[in-house]
Amino acid sequence: MASVTFKKIVKKYNDNLILDGVDLEIRDHEFVVIVGPSGCGKTTMLRLLAGLEEITSGDIEIDGLKVNDLPPAKREIAMVFQDYALYPHMTVKENMSFALKLRHFPKDEIEKRVKESASILQLEKLLNRMPKQLSGGQRQRVAIGRAIVRKPKVFLFDEPLSNLDAKLREEMRVEIARLYQKLNSTIVYVTHDQVEAMTLAGRVVVMNKGHIQQSGTPLDVYRKPQNVFVAGFIGSPTMNFLRGKIEKQEDFFYFSNQSVKIFLPLFSFPEVEKYSGKDVILGIRPDDIILDDKKIDHAHKISGNVEVIELLGHRENIYIKVGDQKILAVGEAFSNFSPGSLVEFSFNYKNIHIFDATTEKRINS
Amino acid sequence: MNDIIFSLLQVFGFVALIAVSVGIIELYLWSHFRYHDKNSIFFTSVFSFTFLALLFMNIGGLLSIKNFVIFMFWEIFLIYTSKKLIKGKNYLPYLLAAPAFLGLLALLLYPFLFQIYLSFHDLKLTTIMQWKQLGTIPFVGLKQYISVFTVPPLAEAGFFKLLFRTLLWTFVNIFFHVLGGFILALLLSELKIFRGIYRTLLVVPWAMPQVVAVLALRGEFHSQYGFINVMIKKAIESFPWLASIGVGPVNWLSDYPLLTCILINVWLGIPFMTVIILGGLQSISKSYYDAASIDGATYFQKLKYITLPLIKPVLMPAVTLGTVWTFNNINVIYLVTGQSGGTEQADILVSALYKAAFTYNRYSYSAAFAMVIFLILFMISISYSKMFEEKNTDKGAA
Ligand SMILES: Nc1ncnc2c1ncn2[C@@H]1O[C@H](COP(=O)(O)OP(=O)(O)OP(=O)(O)O)[C@@H](O)[C@H]1O
Ligand SMILES: [Mg+2]
Repeated sequence: MASVTFKKIVKKYNDNLILDGVDLEIRDHEFVVIVGPSGCGKTTMLRLLAGLEEITSGDIEIDGLKVNDLPPAKREIAMVFQDYALYPHMTVKENMSFALKLRHFPKDEIEKRVKESASILQLEKLLNRMPKQLSGGQRQRVAIGRAIVRKPKVFLFDEPLSNLDAKLREEMRVEIARLYQKLNSTIVYVTHDQVEAMTLAGRVVVMNKGHIQQSGTPLDVYRKPQNVFVAGFIGSPTMNFLRGKIEKQEDFFYFSNQSVKIFLPLFSFPEVEKYSGKDVILGIRPDDIILDDKKIDHAHKISGNVEVIELLGHRENIYIKVGDQKILAVGEAFSNFSPGSLVEFSFNYKNIHIFDATTEKRINS
Repeated sequence: MNDIIFSLLQVFGFVALIAVSVGIIELYLWSHFRYHDKNSIFFTSVFSFTFLALLFMNIGGLLSIKNFVIFMFWEIFLIYTSKKLIKGKNYLPYLLAAPAFLGLLALLLYPFLFQIYLSFHDLKLTTIMQWKQLGTIPFVGLKQYISVFTVPPLAEAGFFKLLFRTLLWTFVNIFFHVLGGFILALLLSELKIFRGIYRTLLVVPWAMPQVVAVLALRGEFHSQYGFINVMIKKAIESFPWLASIGVGPVNWLSDYPLLTCILINVWLGIPFMTVIILGGLQSISKSYYDAASIDGATYFQKLKYITLPLIKPVLMPAVTLGTVWTFNNINVIYLVTGQSGGTEQADILVSALYKAAFTYNRYSYSAAFAMVIFLILFMISISYSKMFEEKNTDKGAA
């Protein structure tokens, strides 16, 4: 139950700039998910917030109080580490009660809280085990349990599910979501799993190279990525990017390069006039490529050849080649396409993303 | 010039001799290991090797019924153990380890058995000529073992006084070894620069031959010219009030021989513990300390709840080893006090044993004495490892 503010945070290890002026405001009881490629500084942000690492410059505030020089113990923060870091020589119960013991809580209070968290996480039967006698998912829950017994103001999760298999990851994801409802506290959660980011987050913060690229609701980040990096990072399969120019023919605008010419209705790009003749990058998600004959915009359809088809169960990935341009589309499984066959498609104009070719920033609203 | 060449030839000849013997042994073992699963191995090897053995015994002049029977038993034993040992496994490791193993047998097992033999007989200055001439010494049963506890090995101290002194010596030494090693290791692990250099410097006294290190330090404890007393005198010159509270030069070697030995041995033993503990500290994952920081642990709480329990697995074997070494440490005591005219006030069990054997020439008595020391040490080691295991499984099983 606290707000957190990063103000112009810079972090350097020796001369390596890791975080380059990060500004972020996290409201009380918000679930913020930080995503970004490996090495972009996600863990570093959490460690700075937890007080495990010194800030090079800038301020961090918790509930309006500047905590730059506060030791970790005083920040009322709990962290779940990427590798869990359960104390190997203590039982589950001792692991969970360690922090309370250090704070000289009375015995029955410790007992009560451990019991409470154990029942939330279904750990009751495991309380007397050692960490090495637990499965990955159980360790994971103990690590979370160790955090929640303290009733901290802010929870920090560092890729907590990255070591689990797909099924367990799904279960734990649901469990964390449930926990968030119950605990009513602020959570900062780092992951590079898209699904976790999309499903858990109240707000997604996309980072790259020590900068925040975009911060917004999951839907926002998915529908309106602010630059090419975010557009390419969020969403699976990855968005198609086409480089080309805006051209005006008669009264209509087109995006074109050597291979394709795509009609751009005004509603998809209102400011198109301004960019006429300029280099742009057009982004389109594979899901937004229309293959269904009934829905295709027949006036402006594009035709290409199917190269490869990957069956994914209920969907399939269709790799299409139009001239030299490769485009990935997602279609219903068991379509009638076969490699080499002709395919006609058009774009879902509502969801076209246009970026400036030099700044790579979004230019259609 | 010729002398040098001759010496070199001798050396090479000796090396060649060893190589050839090892080769023969390897060949002998190899034939057993390689063909262990052949049905014919029993007859062929018993026949051929007994024949060869007879030949060699004859050449060496060792031929006797007894030796022959011993060899037959050995041969059968070897055939069966190689059958059991190899059984489809790769035998190369056994073959490679065999020479070292045989060497150990010769260097450890034989003296040990001989010691047991001695301890039940009576070999001393007056019976040694009889042993030389007749090859027999009187059998006395347990008499030597009784004497160990009733007849003092030295002029001044009996067994129990020595035992007490030994336990005191061992405990104090190990305590300060661990304490000093722990403190130094902590300092070293916090050190960001020059850690390698410091670590090397710390190991120097340990790597130096103990004789050199101990004798050098013994000089520093000399009552007139030793560094320590010189420093005390200088300190008194500068701060006269020190003298008034009773500080003054100390006759270390004659008045406090045991204390001097302990001081020297503590200094000698700390580097080993430091290196071991430093290794243990560096193997502890940083993330436990991060977790503990977040849980709110102070520096000393981390030390108590994280560091100590987690270095125990490396510390316990080191303490066990250190206990045995210190209990058995004759170097320091002998070198500091043991020369002719030296005091017996610092003697512990082993140094008393050494004097009993080689100053007073009571060989059988010493053999029994050594057996008793061995048993004490054996029990100490066992109880250490029991203690350690229990602590481990205790938690593991719960
Ligand atoms: N102690 C350190 N000393 C020097 N550089 C470090 C240190 N810790 C991290 N770095 C560097 O800082 C950068 C960011 O690291 P960080 O751990 O924050 O990445 P991350 O976003 O968490 O990546 P991942 O997704 O792989 O966990 C990396 O380039 C890393 O090499
Ligand atoms: Mg990380």
